[in-house]
Amino acid sequence: MSSALGSDGQSGPAQADANEMRRGEVSRSEARGRLPPRPSPRSLRALDWFVFFLADAQMGFGPLVAVYLTAQKWTQGDIGLVLTAGGLLALAGQMPGGGLVDAARSERVLAAMAVAVIGASAFLIGIWPAFLIVLAAKLLHSAASCILGPAIAAISLGLVGHSAVAERLGRNARFASIGAGLAALGMGTAGYLISNQAVFFVTAALCLPTLVALWLIGGGQVDPERAHGGTAAPHPGDPMATIRMLLRNRPLMIFALCLALFHLANAAMLPLTASVVTMRSSEWAAAMVGACLFVPQLVVAAFAPWMGRQATRSGRRGLLILGFGALPIRGVLLAFATSPYMIVLVQVLDGVSAAVLAVMVPLVIADVTRGTGHFNLAQGTAGTAVGIGASLSTVLAGYTYDYFGMMSAFLSLAGVAAVGFIAVLMFMPETGPGLRSNEFRREALLSESSPAHRRG
Amino acid sequence: MNRFVRTLAVIGMLLFALPVAASAAGDNAPQPEQQPAETTSQTPSPSAEPGTSVTTGDGTPATVIDDRDVEGILGKNVRSSAGEDMGQIIDVIVNRDGQVRAAVIDFGGFLGVGSRKIAVDWHALSFPADAVIDHVILNLTRDQVRLAPEYRSGEPLVVLGAATAVQPKPDTPAQPENLMPEK
Repeated sequence: MSSALGSDGQSGPAQADANEMRRGEVSRSEARGRLPPRPSPRSLRALDWFVFFLADAQMGFGPLVAVYLTAQKWTQGDIGLVLTAGGLLALAGQMPGGGLVDAARSERVLAAMAVAVIGASAFLIGIWPAFLIVLAAKLLHSAASCILGPAIAAISLGLVGHSAVAERLGRNARFASIGAGLAALGMGTAGYLISNQAVFFVTAALCLPTLVALWLIGGGQVDPERAHGGTAAPHPGDPMATIRMLLRNRPLMIFALCLALFHLANAAMLPLTASVVTMRSSEWAAAMVGACLFVPQLVVAAFAPWMGRQATRSGRRGLLILGFGALPIRGVLLAFATSPYMIVLVQVLDGVSAAVLAVMVPLVIADVTRGTGHFNLAQGTAGTAVGIGASLSTVLAGYTYDYFGMMSAFLSLAGVAAVGFIAVLMFMPETGPGLRSNEFRREALLSESSPAHRRG
Repeated sequence: MNRFVRTLAVIGMLLFALPVAASAAGDNAPQPEQQPAETTSQTPSPSAEPGTSVTTGDGTPATVIDDRDVEGILGKNVRSSAGEDMGQIIDVIVNRDGQVRAAVIDFGGFLGVGSRKIAVDWHALSFPADAVIDHVILNLTRDQVRLAPEYRSGEPLVVLGAATAVQPKPDTPAQPENLMPEK
């Protein structure tokens, strides 16, 4: 595609594009020779917009689905069944999705197919809200999301390489949260002024600019080898050997466990907060709950790029401690906060945690899988841990809320968060290159390269 | 766990039943025009409503109601008499005699986050007298509804009445926050 553009483009701007394309080709061949990647500015801008529009489109599949289906005379049982089925597939599909991204020759093509599936399923839900259609659409969306999650990080890593990926991930997080925030505003307005159905057509339409942005990322510049975190695995034909290898990757397993604890505490906290705000404030309840959703997005948009730079400069561990430490404090503050305004203020801490995790999760995984070629499968593994933690979180919070009240629910979530914080503090090594306790990473690499290695 | 098994069963069924269902599901698709409730409904019970009832030729009693006079109630938006958004109707509660006692509304939150299910007395609801029933009016304010305990099936029902204030739930002393007045 790029060569065709290069030979045809004669006019000024087209010629510039073609030059960028050619530079992309060059940087690809340079990557083979272990030279730093040189992504074109256009590709980097296109990645900004891809992340932005994708976050927009994904917003339509959030809690709005339940509101829409209720308006379509669905019973709560059917709605719960569809959402549970989607959630289970999203959990089970994490590792296969990551493995697929690792196996892909072109991350862009795979991501484009997943975006198209998301657009189609949004359109189906909007036009035909019958049980089996919505169930199928929700399952398709879950499967596509399992691919897109790792694919964004893989494209970023393939584009800029390990040395610059921290800042790139910070930028991704900024554009994703701006996209999600604007989408929530826009879809809330569309739902209110037109209909809840309109939200799904807007979602489907948003997949078109997402695809355009994806296409504008220079294909030759996303090096598949870099995107997978190194050369192919030593056992390409035996998936179990690969998974065993990941399970022996000690920093990865510690990190996955910490993430599971974090989300066990985090996932139910926002819905619980929102329902408390609904109870506490009379006139501005909707606006207050909206503020609880938007404040963290603003914090992420403002600070995530800084976090990325900071991670490059002074390491990952300090930021992880900050992000994991903010969560127990938030839980305790929410347990005792009485005024809705104070609750909104406490949500700043949610933004701090969200910004740290948005940058650090793919970054630390990229660190600890460097050279293995299984960056995305490792992302799927961590994603599975996150999913298990998040789904148990609702159960834990619901149970404690029902039987012991709101304050106990927040305090028990804060307790779990404190365990996660201590786990990071005590067991999580620094994973950044050229930084303290780098031997952990080398140990991890050793354990993967030598089959005779034993744990402990 | 039961739900998990059901979900797996549904996923399995989906693989086999999708083409069949796709043709059958057309019936469930929302019609752009208002659905005429009970227009040609078969009522085998002998106690069919008199008045507008007519008897069709084959002997089954049937009632014809003008479609502008009736409306399905699930999913309808609820407003307070002051025009505040009060959520959507998600269920209707009847007693053993079949009398409608309460409506369950999904109240509060924003974009579906943080909403709660609350039961309100059926008599606290009123319906627009003229033209199409596109929303339902609840004769309670947000302030009266926001502290109500959440509706759960299988537990004693706390129904908010039109005239009374929020009733404390007698059998759950463990939710003092719910009942504390804020001001």
